Amino acid sequence: MHRVSKLSFPLRPAIFLLVPVAIALLAACTPENNQSTFGTAGPIAKSQADLFNFIFWIAAIVFVLVEGAIIYIAIRYRQRSPNDKLPHQTHGNDKLEITWTIIPVIILVIIAVPTLTGIWAQQNGVPDDKGEVLSVVATGHQWWFEFQYPDHEVVTANELHIPVNRPVAFKLESQDVIHSFWVPKIAGKVDMIPLNDNYIWMIGDEVGTFYGQCAEFCGIAHAHMRFRVIVDTEEDFQAWLAGMHTPAANPVAGTAEARGQTGFLTNCSMCHTTNSTTPGSYARETDTQIARWNTWIEEEKPTQVSAPNLTHFGTRTTLAAGLQDLNQQSLEEWIDDPSSIKIGTRMQAHASVYDTDDGTAKLSPTEVSDIATYLLSLKPSADAAANAVDDGDGEAVFAAKCSGCHSTGPDAGTGPGLAGVGDRAGSRVDGLSADEYIEQSLRDPGAYVVDGFSPIMPNWSSLGDESIDALVIYLKTLN
Amino acid sequence: MTTKSLTFPRLFPRPQAKWGIWSWIGTVDHKRIGTLYGITAFIWFIVGGIEALMMRAQLASAEASLIDPETFNQLFTMHGTTMVFLVIMPLSAAFFNWLVPLQIGARDVAFPRLNALSFWIFLFGSLIINASWLTGNAPNGGWFGYAPNSGTTFNPGLGMTYWIVGLNILGVASIAAGLNFIVTILNMRAPGMGMFKIPIFTWMTLITSILIVLAMPILAVAGIQLQTDRVYGTHFFNSLGGGDPVMWQHIFWLFGHPEVYILILPAMGIVSEVLPTFARKPLFGYPFVVFAGAVIGFMGWFVWSHHMFTVGLGPAVNTAFAVSTMLIAVPTGVKIFNWLGTLWGGNIRLNTPMLFSISFIAMFTIGGLSGVIHASPPTDSQQQDTYFVVAHFHYVLVGGALLGIFSGIYFWWPKFTGWFLNEKLGIANWALMMIGFNLTFVPQHWLGMDGMPRRIYTYAENMGWENSNLASSIGSFLLGVGILVFIINVFYSMMKKKMAGADPWDGRTLEWSTSSPPPEHDFDEIPQVKYRDQFWFDKYPETISEYYGHNDDDQAVPSGAQIDDDGEAAELPVVSGGADDGHGDGHSAIHLPDKSYYPFILAFGLAIFGTAFVTDGLVLFAGAPFFIWGLLGWSMEPVND
Repeated sequence: MHRVSKLSFPLRPAIFLLVPVAIALLAACTPENNQSTFGTAGPIAKSQADLFNFIFWIAAIVFVLVEGAIIYIAIRYRQRSPNDKLPHQTHGNDKLEITWTIIPVIILVIIAVPTLTGIWAQQNGVPDDKGEVLSVVATGHQWWFEFQYPDHEVVTANELHIPVNRPVAFKLESQDVIHSFWVPKIAGKVDMIPLNDNYIWMIGDEVGTFYGQCAEFCGIAHAHMRFRVIVDTEEDFQAWLAGMHTPAANPVAGTAEARGQTGFLTNCSMCHTTNSTTPGSYARETDTQIARWNTWIEEEKPTQVSAPNLTHFGTRTTLAAGLQDLNQQSLEEWIDDPSSIKIGTRMQAHASVYDTDDGTAKLSPTEVSDIATYLLSLKPSADAAANAVDDGDGEAVFAAKCSGCHSTGPDAGTGPGLAGVGDRAGSRVDGLSADEYIEQSLRDPGAYVVDGFSPIMPNWSSLGDESIDALVIYLKTLN
Repeated sequence: MTTKSLTFPRLFPRPQAKWGIWSWIGTVDHKRIGTLYGITAFIWFIVGGIEALMMRAQLASAEASLIDPETFNQLFTMHGTTMVFLVIMPLSAAFFNWLVPLQIGARDVAFPRLNALSFWIFLFGSLIINASWLTGNAPNGGWFGYAPNSGTTFNPGLGMTYWIVGLNILGVASIAAGLNFIVTILNMRAPGMGMFKIPIFTWMTLITSILIVLAMPILAVAGIQLQTDRVYGTHFFNSLGGGDPVMWQHIFWLFGHPEVYILILPAMGIVSEVLPTFARKPLFGYPFVVFAGAVIGFMGWFVWSHHMFTVGLGPAVNTAFAVSTMLIAVPTGVKIFNWLGTLWGGNIRLNTPMLFSISFIAMFTIGGLSGVIHASPPTDSQQQDTYFVVAHFHYVLVGGALLGIFSGIYFWWPKFTGWFLNEKLGIANWALMMIGFNLTFVPQHWLGMDGMPRRIYTYAENMGWENSNLASSIGSFLLGVGILVFIINVFYSMMKKKMAGADPWDGRTLEWSTSSPPPEHDFDEIPQVKYRDQFWFDKYPETISEYYGHNDDDQAVPSGAQIDDDGEAAELPVVSGGADDGHGDGHSAIHLPDKSYYPFILAFGLAIFGTAFVTDGLVLFAGAPFFIWGLLGWSMEPVND
């Protein structure tokens, strides 16, 4: 017949249900954690946390009432000894039904009011009264973040500088799969979707470094797609912007930096830019990015992918999209075998220097060390004005872009020595004048390769017409 | 039966075996098909659970390297896919199959062979998806398969092809089963059983089946589009070719949110049967529980974009979906209050099925409340894609659906088998599951609020996530031990065989009026129904007036029940296979549909078609003979020889 368990028995394990509750309380949220949504550093995150708390406490009251009722009923009405007593066979109570339909509606209206206010305050563009807006284009790439400042013609990667207490309006893009842009302490997330621009704005009201992380599953290195937001004082921010337009000092010949620069130009500069400091360089960089993206769209496979801009890399604090602290050692490890630090990175698939059996770089430890030293030396130069490169100055462009591989004397470096190139140029290829030959060499280096040299020279079309013309004029003067 | 019809030449004689494998392959008996669903789904449950434990082992500590990221992505993709499509849905289907005909006083479902076809297609579909593990191509794009990450540009392997082919095959099974149960419930109720006299579990089955029939075709459309993107290079969702990845999200969640109710409504039906039985009171507010279920099923279509609050659809869209999402909490609350009303004043027997059902209310409430929190887009922008959401939906799907299913297993086990599951082991099973479950998922709320995203295979040491993750991992293994105790209980009880009678719990509905386990034909005589909970009032006629009000027992039916019309209901067909063969000599002339191999053959052909997409197009030709043989043979085979 009716089986009745001993009453005390099921209640005893019920007490153990308190164990997880106790542990949960012990592990309660800690606002000082790097990505805690409670330890906020901006008004939007704060209003989101406040709304959370508001709904949470209402939910907590409902929780206590419902769970309390369950426990009370289960104890009060439990069968104390085996019996077949029939309680009153009620069918229900219409008044109660109406009551417990209306009460939740009222509670939900109470929750809905600040919810809707919040939606329209946060998702409808930057309000006019927040001060001067800084525009940033943030682009998600597998698996790193690119940041462009169109009004200031600055482009950087993985470390976003913003001024304190000023609204920043982001246009969010993606150049592959869907990512999500999220700085928990400053604002909730918005997705980055290919060919479907999104917008978000935020204000950081505390100076410091804050953690960001991609929140939408985006492939094998999703866990490693992170970034930092550095909230600067207005002065520091302006100084940083100025620094991003100040070239780094040219390495002194014979130093590790100079050797590293040569190594970088030979092996890395096809994808990575280090000198987006000059006027026009921002347009070049963004044009190159779009060209690579269009190629990808047309070919539907990534033969060319965008790579992080490394201008003033030495001023950064982290490596590989916020993964590791940046220092000589971690950078050397990265250059030697990037996927040992961040799985999935495309460097090894696209750069010929990694075309080895185990995927490590075809570089000696010294060469790796030199490149790391060079990259860490990339900082705004103190005697910036002296080094400023004029776009139309062919000699300056040569010094910045070409001198790593080519000397102006007869000595061959990675590339041929260019002494007398102005005389040779007109007779190298039938049908090409000197001007045409030099321009072809710059724009399509593979078309004619001097005997004894490898076809490794990058395509310099990205320099822009002005710089190319200036280079051609300069190179013809090398008699 | 009198006219000689054209028959397809039979390679095999019609199955006659009563025992052994051929009796199962040829079966069309709803109870056997229910058992097949149950066992298959439970095996996948173990597989999906192991996948979860592997992930928890990896996440127990920071920067662990037990599982490489590719495998981790495969694990969470397959864990979600398995638990949704291969565990909770088919476990619910096991209950539908076993119980619906018994609860409505029928001898089988409306289309017994279609029912068998549903199971075999489900089985083969589940095997195709999981075969990906064996070929090293497990899907890795998430159970949600977001474009363009699920396309060949970014996901060139075969994994997501396995996934989408498998889902497309499973969808056929679900749609066929859904149609079958809609027709069964509408047309095959016992004489006198009006719509407001059918048991709540059957009501929830009806609503779930309607949702399945409407929602699964949406997934089928998305699935076929993704499949042609992957196999034939179309550009429905591939943004590189001009497709729209956001469209995938809309279509997927337009399916995906009703799917949530497909998963939870059957469990709500189970709980609505268990609570009245062990409180020894009728369900409080029956019509309100029915309407609440129907309203949930209806409103479930208008909330899909709350999965997409961070997609940037704009403040107007987010406002609309925030409001609709909050509103759907109202009928859900109504159900919870009615369950409490059922318990109130009862004579509550706290045994295993009841403990699971009461725990269902307690845990599901938590999932509902955390759901209201991120129904608010501003707070959701912090919680979307974090462990807070993971915790939320596990409270709904484990604390809700799974606890409900376990309650149903303990409740109906004596009906299914004729013997009880052991009570002490049952309580140990319950206690371990509850402790483990809460220890696993309570800390995940904190992790989410501490900014831990979902689907990351590892995390850095300086994030402050280690303690909560460790607690969560320990909890998950306790939960696993709880499931292990259940398996031990099954085998232990099988050896002990403590026999149960036809009505061990003093049940209320018709399935308890027949023997345990029921005979192949379910009922010797088709029951005549006058009341809701007919079997209870047969046993306790003195309570009729208490429930229905005094004097006028049939007219004073509580609100919502007035549409019953005994005269009309009595004309409903009684049972498939014919209740009356014209001999007029009662149950000796019961006809049941004959067994058939064709559902199996047809499903096998379909499965081979599916494998062509992950092997070679020529394989299609290998599937065609089975498919055509199955179709033609079936269409020309009489129901009974």
